Amino acid sequence: MDKASTLVAPDGPVAPGGEATRPAGTTTTSSTTSDGPAVRGDGTTAASRAGRRWRASRVVVVGLLSALLAGLVLVALTPSTTTVRLDPGNPSPDGAMALAQVLGDQGVDVRSTRSVAEAVGLAGPGTTLLVVDDYGMPDDVARSLLGTGSEVVLVAPGPALLAAATDQVTHASRSPQPTTPSPARCTEPDAAAAGEVTTAGGRFRAGDSATGATALCFTDDSGAGHYAVTTLDGSPDVTLRVLDDGSGLTNAAVTTAGNAALGLRMLGHEETLVWLVPERPTTADDGGGITAYLPPWAVPLAAQLLLVVLVLGLWQGRRLGPLATEDLPVVVRSSETTLGRGRLYRRSRSYGHAGASLRAGAADRMARRLGLPRSSSPDALVDAVCRATRRPPEHVSGLLYGPPPTGDVGLTRLATDLDELESEVHRA
Amino acid sequence: MVLTWRAVALAALGVVPVLLTRTVATVLLWAVVVALVAAVDAALAASPRDVSVQRTVPRAVRLTEHARSTLVLRNGSRRRFSGVVRDAWQPSAGAQGDRHPLDLPPGEQRRTVTVLVPTRRGDRRADRVTLRALGPLGVAGRQASIPVPGTLRVLPEFASRRHLPSRLARLRELDGQAAVQIRGEGTEFDSLREYVIGDDVRSIDWRASARGQEMVVRTWRPERDRRVLVVLDTARTSAARIGDQPRLDASIEAGLLLGALASKAGDRVEMVAYDRELRARVAGAAGPRLLPALADAMAPLEASLVETDWPGLVALVRERLSQRSLVVILSTLEPAAIETGLLPVVEQLTAHHTVVLASVADPAVAALREGRSTAAEVFDAAAAERTELERAAATMVLGRRGVDVVSALPDELAPRLADTYLSLKAAGRL
Repeated sequence: MDKASTLVAPDGPVAPGGEATRPAGTTTTSSTTSDGPAVRGDGTTAASRAGRRWRASRVVVVGLLSALLAGLVLVALTPSTTTVRLDPGNPSPDGAMALAQVLGDQGVDVRSTRSVAEAVGLAGPGTTLLVVDDYGMPDDVARSLLGTGSEVVLVAPGPALLAAATDQVTHASRSPQPTTPSPARCTEPDAAAAGEVTTAGGRFRAGDSATGATALCFTDDSGAGHYAVTTLDGSPDVTLRVLDDGSGLTNAAVTTAGNAALGLRMLGHEETLVWLVPERPTTADDGGGITAYLPPWAVPLAAQLLLVVLVLGLWQGRRLGPLATEDLPVVVRSSETTLGRGRLYRRSRSYGHAGASLRAGAADRMARRLGLPRSSSPDALVDAVCRATRRPPEHVSGLLYGPPPTGDVGLTRLATDLDELESEVHRA
Repeated sequence: MVLTWRAVALAALGVVPVLLTRTVATVLLWAVVVALVAAVDAALAASPRDVSVQRTVPRAVRLTEHARSTLVLRNGSRRRFSGVVRDAWQPSAGAQGDRHPLDLPPGEQRRTVTVLVPTRRGDRRADRVTLRALGPLGVAGRQASIPVPGTLRVLPEFASRRHLPSRLARLRELDGQAAVQIRGEGTEFDSLREYVIGDDVRSIDWRASARGQEMVVRTWRPERDRRVLVVLDTARTSAARIGDQPRLDASIEAGLLLGALASKAGDRVEMVAYDRELRARVAGAAGPRLLPALADAMAPLEASLVETDWPGLVALVRERLSQRSLVVILSTLEPAAIETGLLPVVEQLTAHHTVVLASVADPAVAALREGRSTAAEVFDAAAAERTELERAAATMVLGRRGVDVVSALPDELAPRLADTYLSLKAAGRL
């Protein structure tokens, strides 16, 4: 009986009864199997599969491509802006796009760069070189910047750059003041035209070897000023203009007081303006992020491991054929309706109904046990039960036909009391 | 295109040059190398669509027994096929290890055998055969899933056949074939024979004895060639689960045992499965062909979620049966369904036939009736009590209309129904 073939009758169906149901001599051993047709391939060709895949995925592919195209067009159409402070391409409040555009409208060719080398290449006689926020440039870099023969404007120079440019003025090392307008108090034409400017810098004072050619403007009572005009050391015919802080040139503040006038005049002396905002040098302390702490092989290794994980995913992600599916019969418990009725009793607090059911069930079983017909009267049943259990009649009749229970406790007690009575009848 | 673990190993091998050069460009280069090797390897693999597949599977198998699904694979390409083949079946076909490694030179054929141990009655269909051919390096390969039709009919388990020998013994006692002859009540007159000591004196045929010298007794045998119609209700009430199987499965067990017993007793057995239309019918099969036919017809039956069309069922029975017969309805004793469905039409049946209603009872309801620990359980117990009372009332009403009701737990229904049949036969009520 362990082989399916012994069960199969000659005409096909299997006899589930096995040997017991079959008359002797009719053993059926011929195996009825169905040989399917030999199937070769799934009727597709490489072209038809490619076509099917294309039809299945074309919506997604076309959608992705058009999204990519739209993104490229958007990028190409958007003017290039930066977020670097005092950059001529930065339209945000701390940028200097307003000043650069006005200068451009006035005929000045503004060339923005962030590379010192490029700035050195662009600058020359007949140009103005503006250096903003040099971040403590090394001495040799500063010298190469200053030796191009162009006029130089330094905004918020570091001590090293200022010292390389001139020893006529030095930092006054005052703590930055709140940006209140300060009057020019000098005869330098640009400053005089500006009248008042707002700047928050630490001011300059004249150096020990200062000559009369050096003008300090926007001075305070001690003689330290926000703006100085002098010449480069070593090349006395090249004008050097120094402003202690660039906050007055930003988009936000350029319209305040005479900021715009000072900026336009200071930067508009020549036809070409080379605007250098030097790249902040990368050091381990600032910039570079976490990669600065990693060994040099870490990033390539991580990329390689990513490749391994990708291949692993492709290996594991390809199933050996699709999942086989099957319709299963519904799962409805047969006792569901009974449970539902119980919940209904509970929700409507039908203690009377529940109690009556329990009593009827117990009475029915006891009556059958005692051999009473179903049609016998309550009195006959009580009488028979009393005789079987030797309990007082009023007790039995109270239990079986008394008032309905009124609460959880009453119902539970009725149930257990009925159980007890029933067990006594059954023992009797 | 599929990749293997070797492709992963190849990708991982790239760690060495990457650590030596320490540039991301090496990673990109290595990725290109892996992709190229995989593409070339896949291109050199045999085409899985050039392999012809033939599936051989038994037509039918009994539940709990196993069958073998054999695939004959023939390599029609000019390359050596080296890879894996999967013979996929529906989950409840119970395929044990459906993946087989396959190494197939050009022009040769191999066979793979997948053992099926079905877990559910009915027609189990084969899914696709998936062939995965790997390239010579084993880094990548090609894969195709090919529909290869195949169906295995899983017949009912017929676990109740263990009750058959004892019932057949009782049948032989009734039949007068046992060593001790006993006389049944209300049975057919068979023959006259001489009185031997021990015979029931009430069976002495005085008239015949007076004619001759010897005392003569009459012998009897139960009727033969009666018709038994098993009606299987496949409507919504049969879908409800009792334990972990639908009520229908227990009904099928009972129907099979009754069919086996009745055909041994010489009666003609027919079966119909019905809800709102005829789902299956077995008629005209007798002897050793009956049981296979019954099992085959019942195997694919599933309960459908509709209400039974009782008038239609009665019309069907009256059309099928002209002479007085035993009609066994395998349905449920659900009071609501009985009141609205069977009761109004049952007298049309009982007027002409002996009717037995066999119903599978739920042990869960009996367990609910015992609950006493919380008020909620007592409410459930009361509901169960009420259900039982209604069932008892329905049984009584049906009994008054001449229907014998057999209600038993799933395991006991088949033997109880067989006993009912034997007692009806012994009483000559067929």
